[in-house]
Amino acid sequence: MRLLALVTEAFGGHGGIARYNRDLLTALSRSSPVEAVIVVPRFGDVEADLPPRVAQRAARPGRLGWSAAATEAALRMRPDAIFCGHLNAAPLAAALSRVLRRPLWLQLHGIEAWPDRGRTMRRAARAASLVTAVSRHTRRRFLGWSDLPPERVRVLPNTLDAVYRPRPRRADLVGRYGLEGRRVVLTVGRLAPSERYKGHDRVIAALPRILARVPDMVYLIVGGGEDRARLEALARTGGVASHVVFAGRVADGDLPDHYALADVFAMPSTGEGFGIVFLEAAASGLAVIGGDRDGSLDALADGAIGRAIDPDDPIALGDALVTALKTGEAADPAALRRFAFDHFARHVDALVRSLGR
Amino acid sequence: MCGINGIFAYHYAANPIGEAELLRTRDRMAARGPDSANAWCSEDGRVGFGHRRLSIIDLSDGGLQPMANDDGSLRIVFNGEIYNYRALKAELTAKGHVFRTSSDTEVLLHLYAERGAAMVDALRGMFAFAIWDERRRQLFLARDPYGIKPLYYADDGWTFRFASQVKALIAGGAVSADLDPAGRVGFYLWGSVPEPFTIHESIRALPAGATLLVDRLGAGEPRRYHSVAEVYRAAEEASGRGVPPSAAGEAIREALLDSVRHHLVADVPVGLFLSAGIDSAALLGLMRDAGQDEIETVTLAFAEFRGRPEDEAPLAAEVARVYGARHTVRIVDRAEFEADLPHILDAMDQPTIDGINSWFVAKAARERGLKVALSGLGGDELFGGYPSFTDLPKWVRRAAVPARIPFLGRAVREVARRSGSIGRLGPKAAGALEYGGDYAGAYLLRRGLFMPWELDGLLAPEIVERGMRRLAPLALVRQALTPAPRTAYGRVATLESTLYMRNQLLRDTDWATMAHSLEVRTPLVDPVLLAAIAPYLAAAGRPAGKGDLAAAPRVPLPQGITGRAKTGFTTPIRNWMRQAAAAGAGASSARAERPWARDWALRVAAAPNAAPALVGVGGTDRAAA
Repeated sequence: MRLLALVTEAFGGHGGIARYNRDLLTALSRSSPVEAVIVVPRFGDVEADLPPRVAQRAARPGRLGWSAAATEAALRMRPDAIFCGHLNAAPLAAALSRVLRRPLWLQLHGIEAWPDRGRTMRRAARAASLVTAVSRHTRRRFLGWSDLPPERVRVLPNTLDAVYRPRPRRADLVGRYGLEGRRVVLTVGRLAPSERYKGHDRVIAALPRILARVPDMVYLIVGGGEDRARLEALARTGGVASHVVFAGRVADGDLPDHYALADVFAMPSTGEGFGIVFLEAAASGLAVIGGDRDGSLDALADGAIGRAIDPDDPIALGDALVTALKTGEAADPAALRRFAFDHFARHVDALVRSLGR
Repeated sequence: MCGINGIFAYHYAANPIGEAELLRTRDRMAARGPDSANAWCSEDGRVGFGHRRLSIIDLSDGGLQPMANDDGSLRIVFNGEIYNYRALKAELTAKGHVFRTSSDTEVLLHLYAERGAAMVDALRGMFAFAIWDERRRQLFLARDPYGIKPLYYADDGWTFRFASQVKALIAGGAVSADLDPAGRVGFYLWGSVPEPFTIHESIRALPAGATLLVDRLGAGEPRRYHSVAEVYRAAEEASGRGVPPSAAGEAIREALLDSVRHHLVADVPVGLFLSAGIDSAALLGLMRDAGQDEIETVTLAFAEFRGRPEDEAPLAAEVARVYGARHTVRIVDRAEFEADLPHILDAMDQPTIDGINSWFVAKAARERGLKVALSGLGGDELFGGYPSFTDLPKWVRRAAVPARIPFLGRAVREVARRSGSIGRLGPKAAGALEYGGDYAGAYLLRRGLFMPWELDGLLAPEIVERGMRRLAPLALVRQALTPAPRTAYGRVATLESTLYMRNQLLRDTDWATMAHSLEVRTPLVDPVLLAAIAPYLAAAGRPAGKGDLAAAPRVPLPQGITGRAKTGFTTPIRNWMRQAAAAGAGASSARAERPWARDWALRVAAAPNAAPALVGVGGTDRAAA
């Protein structure tokens, strides 16, 4: 089977979606029915070490240019199936799949697939013979407006990178953030006005309640973005500024050491497609707390990996954080193992075979 | 006859199944199976079955479920009866299969081992079952051709769950109770929720006559193995090739007797719901012809009707006397109806406007100690007993030409609405031009409870919009008619038996009788019978009427039965429902003019135990306003 993969970014790209796509393409390259994968990305430079049987075209950042490149690749390659890595590109991918009469595989990452995207998108989505959603919640929300038969929409979760594991605190970082002898709550995520659902506000609001019982704790916020000033102001007006540390954006390579600084990871979010950071934190040996109404439930494995609370209940959040700070234990590594790459790859293999059926 | 359920954590990311959840779902169905309860969980914790048993065939512990084959590689939970299990068992024994029990359940296990998914083609009966195939690591589910036995499932993307009842799945605690706009709209359009939709977004019905495979990727697409439309279509084609009409009477009699004989297979006494109609009376005669000695019959009667033509009790008693049945007349009054109403609404698996009669007659049968009773359900669908058999073709003929004029129907309805004449005409007449032009539209009108354009007064506009889009009611009806039979009779019979009978009559019979731990069998709803007599019925091209059915028993039916004018299905229960609806929903004066079923629908929709959160979740339900 020869696959055409239309993606925003994969190899050479940054962020969660790029990583997901890299994992997926790597898994595809190991699936025996797959003979070749041609990747047409919008962003990301071609890397030297691509998986075998995977080729990536040069990035075309402009929407029109990318569409033209995708169309050209489709017509020239005449693939056996088309993989579309983002819902926004579904109308184009659906058109190509109709013209070529080849099955379409559509991937959903999270909130882009939650609200009703209207008639055009519904029509495009219904052209897909296989849809994979990153979480059960994303699947359910998508089914709610797309009206696809439920059996066409499968769940394919993120995978956990083996680089995350318990490790000692790095002294330079402890010094830099002033964490010596302190209990630390951590959130990792972009501070973007469009991603306020992540719940930094909620944790800051819960701090007075937590400090009353764990006075030496610190809230460490890793991630940069335009919302930082607002959150800093929020901490000041809440009188907890001395207990909130903004680490700013951290390079991927330094992220494991930042997880290692903390005791508890908290992100009472309402907008997670999946929430890979919960897994990274749990693998790093932290107790984990997340929300109970979005993709977080999948990363928390319904409580087997971390605790799920109502994100809009400040008392529940405060109590959960206090309990975790005092007695919190990391998730059982066995519970985490489900998200290992080899499970993911086996599932991708079964999905590819189902496309051919 | 039982309650079944199961959980399969098929996805690698899913947690092992919860035994507590499995038992919660199972025990919500306690009434379906009061005789025993069992459960099984696989050693790896990935799959589990629950079962509640009402013992009817092989009363010993041999019939216990979940049942495994000898090496434990196959395991089954099964609800229903396989009427030809003895013949199948003989066949399988000849092929070397060794049986440990005398149950029909074990036959299913061996048949699956022998034929795989194709096993369903060999089955005669009513059934819903699930087989766990350990070697293939997959779950196989199947439901009988007419959908007599229910089977619902929920697949959340990680874990697959199934059960005999929607409410049982919700009771497990892991399935979302969010309402499906398609289910809500469907209920108001037809008075019952049309499959494969249910009232909950996360739960689907396995369609009648379909199988389903669940593997490591989750539930697949349901695969149809039987289609009523196809049987009629094939019968019409065959009838053109010389079915001698003279032989019809005898062939129909033979087929009816054969079906009744099969439906009597049991290790407990089998009774009969007897009314003053031809269907049940003929069944009684045929039960005698089949050699049944001791027959217990039950008839409902109402004090309000005593001495009036609507009273079925005297004629039913006469029929029972003619055939020598032990007969019971059970009088139901309004006080009992009101006392039972909360239990009725609680047992009602999904919102519906029917099932009350079944509730009381099942209650009466159970009081007589019966576990199994036959019912004449299906006779009207088979022999054309409904007015729709004449109405639908007439409507389609009359509206065919004007319906082809674009927008005319809609314009007429709009004019009627603006001039205030819909009230006088009735909503159905107002929609006749718009929908009457083909069988699907005409059927929507004929069986419609509320018309599509009335929904905005009942549900929030976005619910109506989403619900109509998801449900696509006309497409749903057309699908039932694919491949379309050529004759008017074939079309109406297909529509009535795959929509009204399936979604309303059979489903209501199931919950209302299982609530009393009574198994109801329907010899007139049988694919073998249908295939045998459809060519004769189709040859006429119009409803044959009940003459052949009435003439089937060797001892003729009393004249009062065959000569009786059809009173319809009249009971004072409708009046009680109407009064209960008024009391429950605060009826306005406008509602007083509506047919009783519409008031009752609103009452059901407003009852939290009948339709959990039908009001309020996912948009305001205006019905109660």
